[in-house]
Amino acid sequence: MININSLSKEYVMGDNKLLALDNIDLSINEGDFVSIMGSSGSGKSTLMNIIGCLDVPSSGEYHFRDNNVSTLNSNKLAELRNKDIGFVFQNFNLLPRLNAQENVVLPLLYSGKNLKERNQLAIEALESVGLKDRVHHRPNQLSGGQQQRVSIARAITGSPKLILADEPTGALDSKTGLEIMKILNDLNAKGITIVLVTHEDDIANYGTRIIKMKDGKILEDKKNVNN
Amino acid sequence: MSITDLIYLSQKSLRSNILRSILTSLGIIIGVSSVITMISIGSGARIEVEQQIERFGSNNLIVRSQSSSNRGVSMGANSVNTLTLKDMEALKEELPAIKAIAPRVSLSTQIVANGNNWLATVTGTTNDYFDLGNWKFENGRSFEEEELASGSRVAIIGKTVQKNLFDTDSPIDEVIRINKVPFTVIGLLDAKGGTAWADLDDTVIVPLKTAKQRLVAKKFPGDQIRSMTINVRSSDLLFKTEKDVDTVMRKLHKISANGNPDFVIRNYAQFLNARQESSRVMSILLATVAGISLIVGGIGIMNIMLVTVTERTKEIGVCMSVGAKKRDILLQFLIESLMISLIGGLIGIALGLGVIFGVSEYFKWKMSLDYMSIVLSFVFSSSIGIIFGFYPARKAANLNPIDALRYE
Repeated sequence: MININSLSKEYVMGDNKLLALDNIDLSINEGDFVSIMGSSGSGKSTLMNIIGCLDVPSSGEYHFRDNNVSTLNSNKLAELRNKDIGFVFQNFNLLPRLNAQENVVLPLLYSGKNLKERNQLAIEALESVGLKDRVHHRPNQLSGGQQQRVSIARAITGSPKLILADEPTGALDSKTGLEIMKILNDLNAKGITIVLVTHEDDIANYGTRIIKMKDGKILEDKKNVNN
Repeated sequence: MSITDLIYLSQKSLRSNILRSILTSLGIIIGVSSVITMISIGSGARIEVEQQIERFGSNNLIVRSQSSSNRGVSMGANSVNTLTLKDMEALKEELPAIKAIAPRVSLSTQIVANGNNWLATVTGTTNDYFDLGNWKFENGRSFEEEELASGSRVAIIGKTVQKNLFDTDSPIDEVIRINKVPFTVIGLLDAKGGTAWADLDDTVIVPLKTAKQRLVAKKFPGDQIRSMTINVRSSDLLFKTEKDVDTVMRKLHKISANGNPDFVIRNYAQFLNARQESSRVMSILLATVAGISLIVGGIGIMNIMLVTVTERTKEIGVCMSVGAKKRDILLQFLIESLMISLIGGLIGIALGLGVIFGVSEYFKWKMSLDYMSIVLSFVFSSSIGIIFGFYPARKAANLNPIDALRYE
């Protein structure tokens, strides 16, 4: 599903060049649950942004399903993000003016689904994360855990193949964090590929495969024996 | 993304900052209301001038008696009649540019008929009066030569007099008493409507000779008259003829070129031109205000949209992360600025209509609401929204998704 060959990402900050990703090779199969670990500055978030087609590499190749992502223009990238990829962010990133349902509907607006269909899909997605009775609440009327569940609903409503979760439990207490991880685990059980970025061992342990990064390089890549 | 979705999202974000949205559209509000008022004043003046010409006839000069101030003592307005029928004949002879002259004597008096009483202005004149004043007959006829020459007791009445004496009945062949003298009604004039100063239809017209013999013998002795309406052959000759009339009259009345005349010449075209000119100046003034405030309003919109884009950078990143294309972002911000300017346009139209209503009520200034001006305002305000909203919207659309998402 994901094939990355000798991929590098360089940031230029004034006179300094920062190599965020240094010649990375990585492949992820459909149905994997991959946890990427590393301290801040290790390049794990940069890698995830490139996998999520939000950022483009400086050099190297990235194939996502049948697409050579390095060659795609911004419209095609937007389409990929819309149809095949769902994001779950640490800070939820919900739009404050829209209620839960409208937030979940957002990706469907951009894919051009009609009103009836997208409202149906949004409600189903909210139901599946257990927020059937919070459909019309706005983000500031929801708890952190509920907001994260709305953002998971938003990620899955377009039935993506891949979900990218960037420290999804980072802003939550441990009990709510576990609930979120359970939802992600269930999604993986339904066949959705999940890439999770975290620096907590017990969260990373949900993955079937753990990748450790440091200074833009992959330090370790192994099957998770505990899972 | 469909247009209704875009509008829905835009109104959500505008409503979340309602005060700011309205303040932003203030420039457009002022601009659009000025445009509407300006156009209304302009077309109102044009229509008024056309109507006045229709009412009073074009190419007319009116000569009136005027008491000259004698050795510093004013004799009071209209106290002396200095015009005579001889003056009229002399003018006709001397000036070939004059097509016709209608003399006039008048008094305000009680009219009785049908058991009703009515105070009206009675005019004694000739048949030229009807042509020169653009009077049309609703019923009946004008005077016959014989009636004019013999001083017959016949009268032609205006619509207001008919209404008050005869209600809706035909007045033709009925007898009315003017100053107790019985007259037979032979004609009924078409309604002209009122001006700001007088009801033109409140009139009774009788032959000049009859009036002088039976109604105003004391007031206008001999061949004295109150005024005369001079019709000039063409409008090009109007101003020259006005000067010529002045010269001839001074000669007839033995008044030197720089002495105080005992008559006054009114040129209606002059008045109309002045009226048109003043509304033109007003229009130019308003057009300037409109132009400046529309541009300032546009810059205001651009300014606020730039602030909005910066404020919502993270949100733009979120939208891009769930699949918004550049075009979607561009359109959303364009529609937001378009909505601000259109709402401003709507409020401006309402305000403009209010101003038009107020001005025409209080100043009795004729304003005509032109529907084109409303269409024009919509076009103006929406193009301003698009033109000045484009740069901020493009700035938003060209954001890099990851930079936008990381923006704090």
